[in-house]
Amino acid sequence: MIGAEDSPGTGTDDSESADGGEPPSERFEDVDWASIDADGGGRSPLRLAALVAAGSYGLAVASDRLVAGGDPTIDVAFGGVAFVWDATAVDWLFVATLSVLAFALVPLARNRRLVAYYWRRFRRHRPAVLSLAYLLVIFLLGTVGTLFLDPPALDVAAAYQPPVFLSVDASIPTECVGPVVEGRCQGTWRYPLGTTADGKGLLALAIFGMRVSMQVGLIATLISITIATAVGATAAYAGGWIDEALMRYVDIQQTFPTFFLFLFLAYLYGGSLFVLIVIFGVTGWGGIARIVRSEALQRSEETYVAAARSAGASGPFVVWRHVVPNVSNSIVTAATLNIPVLILSEAALSFIGLGNVTLPSWGQTIAAGRGDLATAWWVSTVPGLFLFATILAFNFLGNALRDALDPRQEVGR
Amino acid sequence: MGLKWYTARRVAWAGVAAFVILTVTFVLLDYAPDPELARIQFRAAATGADAETAAEAYAERRGLTGPLWERYLEYLGNLATGDWGWSDTRSQPVLAAILTALPYSLMYTVPAVALSTVLGIAIGLYSAFNQYTTTDYAATFVAFFGVSIPNFWFGIVLLLLFAVQLGWVPVLFDAELARTRPLSLANARQLVLPVFVLGTSAIASTMRYARAEALEYVRAAFVKAARAKGASEWRILTRHVLRPTLVPLSTILVGDLLGIILSASYLVEVVFGIPGLGRLSLEAIRRQDTALVLGTTLVPVLVAVLGNLLQDLAYALLDPRIDYGDR
Repeated sequence: MIGAEDSPGTGTDDSESADGGEPPSERFEDVDWASIDADGGGRSPLRLAALVAAGSYGLAVASDRLVAGGDPTIDVAFGGVAFVWDATAVDWLFVATLSVLAFALVPLARNRRLVAYYWRRFRRHRPAVLSLAYLLVIFLLGTVGTLFLDPPALDVAAAYQPPVFLSVDASIPTECVGPVVEGRCQGTWRYPLGTTADGKGLLALAIFGMRVSMQVGLIATLISITIATAVGATAAYAGGWIDEALMRYVDIQQTFPTFFLFLFLAYLYGGSLFVLIVIFGVTGWGGIARIVRSEALQRSEETYVAAARSAGASGPFVVWRHVVPNVSNSIVTAATLNIPVLILSEAALSFIGLGNVTLPSWGQTIAAGRGDLATAWWVSTVPGLFLFATILAFNFLGNALRDALDPRQEVGR
Repeated sequence: MGLKWYTARRVAWAGVAAFVILTVTFVLLDYAPDPELARIQFRAAATGADAETAAEAYAERRGLTGPLWERYLEYLGNLATGDWGWSDTRSQPVLAAILTALPYSLMYTVPAVALSTVLGIAIGLYSAFNQYTTTDYAATFVAFFGVSIPNFWFGIVLLLLFAVQLGWVPVLFDAELARTRPLSLANARQLVLPVFVLGTSAIASTMRYARAEALEYVRAAFVKAARAKGASEWRILTRHVLRPTLVPLSTILVGDLLGIILSASYLVEVVFGIPGLGRLSLEAIRRQDTALVLGTTLVPVLVAVLGNLLQDLAYALLDPRIDYGDR
């Protein structure tokens, strides 16, 4: 397992730094310095919870790798329903990503007033609210739904079934599952969105594709924003030759057109989902780092940074505690707009056949249906619609978030 | 700092960037598993020969012997002198393969870029002048549509609609026709859809940038002054808003559009079956022709380096307010 254990740890610090909360209104001489010093030991319930989560995560990964080996990770049956889940490396990364996201949400849940304020600003964008609802459905179907669904299976007898309410000439499917009316095969509810040439149900394929897209978008973006925040904030705060060196590196990385960088690396190192996610995450952070740097440069000039520094805070502490939380708005926006780019890149790479061919990714399914356009148009069209809607939704969401969280940034740029 | 010094520094930096990128590519190539080598070793082992000897013979033939730095210098020298390697699958030099493919790519990218630039700026300006009207919202939606639609899927849907169902355009791209009669009506017909697909993805960003830039000037004092003096709306649009807008826009167009065009055209060619650079690269990837993959990847990369350089220089030339010390 590659450094997955570190991720929840990052989450701890992340949420710790962002939970500034409301300072109680008391006078300077009322402050109980002894209790504050004791607090500084860092044993807040949140940190404890994060430690426990990280520990149990590490144990779970270790047991999966060492004890379970090739066997399924979870194999239980209750009430006649068997629940089998053999977690892959990507699944474990995804679990880590989701727990980090959960910890990142804690400070938001604590600060209801702020959330209500942001929500009021966000609500004004009706397409964005719709997008959020759509994305939540996609996310839940892709993460929870796929655990209880059977993966789409090969069934040659059920090839080329049309979607429900639609019909197709009876000579096209090998065998029509639904009724044949006047020489036309009718779609059935067994395959609501039709089937592919292999007889795989497109609805099931689309739902499993949601998982792939969410995994790519969320994991790789989390890797990206972690690196981008570290690089951008360090460059801005340290300045001098560190800034110069880091940003020159970003310049060069940005010059390489993203798509071709992904393409070239995927060609050289194989296009398994794990490798793709790592490539996206490790090489796609340049733009976010620039945003973080320019925002952090402005924050570093603020009086609270000067105050912290004159109180004797170290450089890393100031960056972590004062600069990063105050640029988090820009980071959230940039991350949201980064996700659709990655989802699209993954779809494009699997469309041209560089991805893992056994993976039910949307791009894969679109490519599979290309040869049957004249007879079975739905094979390419259906997954493409999901892909388009998801990317559109993330773009709407990102723009609305920028409006709500980031009044400093100009909309439309 | 003067313009000359700035130009010299930018050119030098572009050189450094290209050099670093080539070096990184060399290192990546050197450490990546070589499918050809694996194939040769497998074949040798299968026929009972010594896999090690076969591998050495292969390395000898490919010039893969000798210390790392020697091979590195040779690699750089070859690239600089136009010797980009030999494509095994096509039995021709990589550069020749690229030059044959290039006209097909240009055939639809040039019209697409020209159309999307003109239309994008026009729609962007119109949106800025009519901010928060229905037309403006429609234009914003079109921009979102263009950014979000996966162009390879869009191409498939359009092919399905206009070629398969309606039969207005041919389903398959006729390379022979494109080569012999590039300016004929039949060729234009088969290029309509690729131009349209590429145009939609490119027009979106142009439109959004043009709108944002023009908005800065629509309410500027000098525009108000011009209006007060009785200048017509057309004159205000073309003389007072378009001209200052074009300065930042021209730079954005070079840098940002390039990335979109390069990656979009790759997929567009795959969908429409146009034998351009993208298809060449895809074929090379499928048949694991590493020299050709490298060549077809380096072309867009070098174009991007050049585009970035032009962007910086154009900005300095067009906008006298630029601070040369800044990045």
